[in-house]
Amino acid sequence: MEQKILINCDHVSKTFDTPEGVCSVIEDLDIKVRENEFLVLFGPGQCGKSTILNTIAGFEPVTGGEITVNGDKVTKPGPERGMVFQTTALFPWLKVMGNVEYGPRMRGVPKKERRERAQRYIELVGLQGFENSYPIKLSGGMKQRVGIARAYCNEPLVMLMDEPFGHLDAQTRYLMQEELTRIWQQEKRTVIFVTNNIEEAVYLADRILVLRNCPTSVKAEYEINLPRPRSYTDPEFLRLRREINDVVDHTL
Amino acid sequence: MKTKKKFNKYMLVSIVSVAVGIFIWWLVTAGLGLVKSNILPAPDTIVRTFIKKLYDPNPEGGTLFVHLLSSLRVALSGYGLGVVLGIPLGIIMAWYPRIEMTVRPVFDLVRTVPGVAWIPVMVSLAGIGLLSKALVIFISAMVATVINSYSGIKQTKEVHLWVGQTFGASNWELLTQIAIPSALPMIMTGCKIALGQAWTTLVAAELLASTKGIGYMIQQARGIYRLDIVIVGMIVIGLTGAALTGIISLIEKRVLKGGKY
Amino acid sequence: MATFWNKNGRKFAYGACGLLLFGLIWFLATNGTELGKILPDPVTVLRKFFVSFAEPIGTKTMVFHILTSLRRMLLPYLVACAAGILLGVVMGWYKPLEAIVKPYIELIRPIPPIAWIPLSIAWFGFAEMSKYFLIFLACFPTITINTYSGVRSVDETIVRAAKMLGARDSQLFTTIVMPSTVPYIFAGLQVAIGSSWATIVAAEMIRSSEGVGWLIISGQETSNMPQVLVGIVAIALTGLVLVSFMRLLETKLCAWNERGQ
Repeated sequence: MEQKILINCDHVSKTFDTPEGVCSVIEDLDIKVRENEFLVLFGPGQCGKSTILNTIAGFEPVTGGEITVNGDKVTKPGPERGMVFQTTALFPWLKVMGNVEYGPRMRGVPKKERRERAQRYIELVGLQGFENSYPIKLSGGMKQRVGIARAYCNEPLVMLMDEPFGHLDAQTRYLMQEELTRIWQQEKRTVIFVTNNIEEAVYLADRILVLRNCPTSVKAEYEINLPRPRSYTDPEFLRLRREINDVVDHTL
Repeated sequence: MKTKKKFNKYMLVSIVSVAVGIFIWWLVTAGLGLVKSNILPAPDTIVRTFIKKLYDPNPEGGTLFVHLLSSLRVALSGYGLGVVLGIPLGIIMAWYPRIEMTVRPVFDLVRTVPGVAWIPVMVSLAGIGLLSKALVIFISAMVATVINSYSGIKQTKEVHLWVGQTFGASNWELLTQIAIPSALPMIMTGCKIALGQAWTTLVAAELLASTKGIGYMIQQARGIYRLDIVIVGMIVIGLTGAALTGIISLIEKRVLKGGKY
Repeated sequence: MATFWNKNGRKFAYGACGLLLFGLIWFLATNGTELGKILPDPVTVLRKFFVSFAEPIGTKTMVFHILTSLRRMLLPYLVACAAGILLGVVMGWYKPLEAIVKPYIELIRPIPPIAWIPLSIAWFGFAEMSKYFLIFLACFPTITINTYSGVRSVDETIVRAAKMLGARDSQLFTTIVMPSTVPYIFAGLQVAIGSSWATIVAAEMIRSSEGVGWLIISGQETSNMPQVLVGIVAIALTGLVLVSFMRLLETKLCAWNERGQ
């Protein structure tokens, strides 16, 4: 089945100027993301995964090659791409409702309509009853649910997730992985998910790209065809996990 | 490289900005004579007056050096006493709950009174000499140091105290080995704020009741319409305040380096 | 009984003991002693304080004096708030302006507002305008610098999140930069209200014919110590009300923030 390519990173490279000289972070990277695909970028520590996401988001310009989203070249951040941040980056002065409806509000969606839409996504992530809480009152997992609802509520074509569960404790992390799978199955989106956790990658992904250490590029690619919801202890799951583990650069 | 270049560009804008400001000042005063010198003296007059005041005690009876020394003596003696008494008082108040509960209401009443308001009381008690001013400065410096060393101790992390307790430290050891070292940054901040308070209060005290000092100098110069001396005095007050803060910051760096285990 | 000796009850009891002890020491020190000839005892001061609400000191009652000082302070305070917030925001948002304006603010800041008194008298005479000018100087640099550093320390990730959600530059400003600056502005407003209260007291002590500062200085001039102390009590209580009011306002407006908790 031929699917539409939504994101195309074409020979992308990215260098930084530092006092010690030019540092190359991304080198000749090619990524094609299909519509409604859950793509996981998996790589060790500081390998430049987040930089890839930042260039797709439009925060940092590429120094070579080109990134297109839905055919348009990426030059700056925009609402057709939604982002979930590791630090949640919620607006602390807005309540949960205010955070979730922020995107539509900026685009001038009438209050009644955006409230209804925000309410729907708050319920999707399971936060009904907390609409009028300030983020400071929420637990880490709940904050990240707000972050996901906020990104969803803007109805982007693409969701970019930068290690969103990196700061959560192990139990909450499992729970949020299950929740994200449920949410994504209910409301399909094209997702690029960055992580350094193999288990998380295998649990969530349609396809995993294993990245090389800095300067980064694609080292290996895995299609994960396990049915959802997946089990962390399924033999096939464990086999994939071991296989990918063997490919990763273990050097620091 | 790029950021450094930018930095220099804005530095240049700042320097040009100040230069233009001084030029306009000169233009409206000496250059075009739009503003008379009894309203705003020209910048070159200020510089000349400053140099002249270094050796000339006229018209109010003291060189800049004599006034500055007198002011510093009053300010530093009051400040020193305030800090020396304020730090332990703040620490004791924060560490012993009974003392805290007893002393705090009285202290909260005293701290809301600005330093200047004590001047008439102290003048009545001790005359208009060094002592009364030093006492006023002592109060305002002490209030600031107490508040900061108090909250410094209060912010000691409980975990740190628990660690101390598991090693069998006594209450006194907990205070001296854990609470005070971890409160040092706040205590130093208190010393800095207290210095600012002391210097402000000193100027007020000298304006109101004095026969010497920089504050006295500008008050007298105002009476005889010598605004050039007033502005020289203000500049000296500002520079000295900044210099004193700089010295405390240096001490702070030393103390904190030794205080971090 | 058991409920009375809970934490608050004990705090209250100890606090009351502390205040009583303070009053007792004061009373014993001034009753029939040498000191008592200069310093009145606490009962006299308190009685005179309450009486002053009915019987005038000078030509006006206490309420009038307090309101006069507050009125003098409030107008320039509000002007300085508006101007300082505006300038601080623009400085934080627009770098060239920062480079032009910041050196001036940094030059003015180390000079205590009280040191401007002679100059303000020379420029504006003894009219209300000279007091307005002083209060403005006491508030403006603090509020400006606080607002400015608030704008500069807006969390970069939060700005990114807003951009990602489609906020335009003008929307970024109103919905992200302004709200996240509010706690900084509040810190500035609080410091400013304290220092403008101290400044108005000092300014009234230098020259005025009513207000709380006048109360204490005229008390000193007529050797009326009770009046001086009554003035100090009025200054302390009004200052306490001002600070508490600002803190209440902050809790209301910054409920989302640690400071507001």
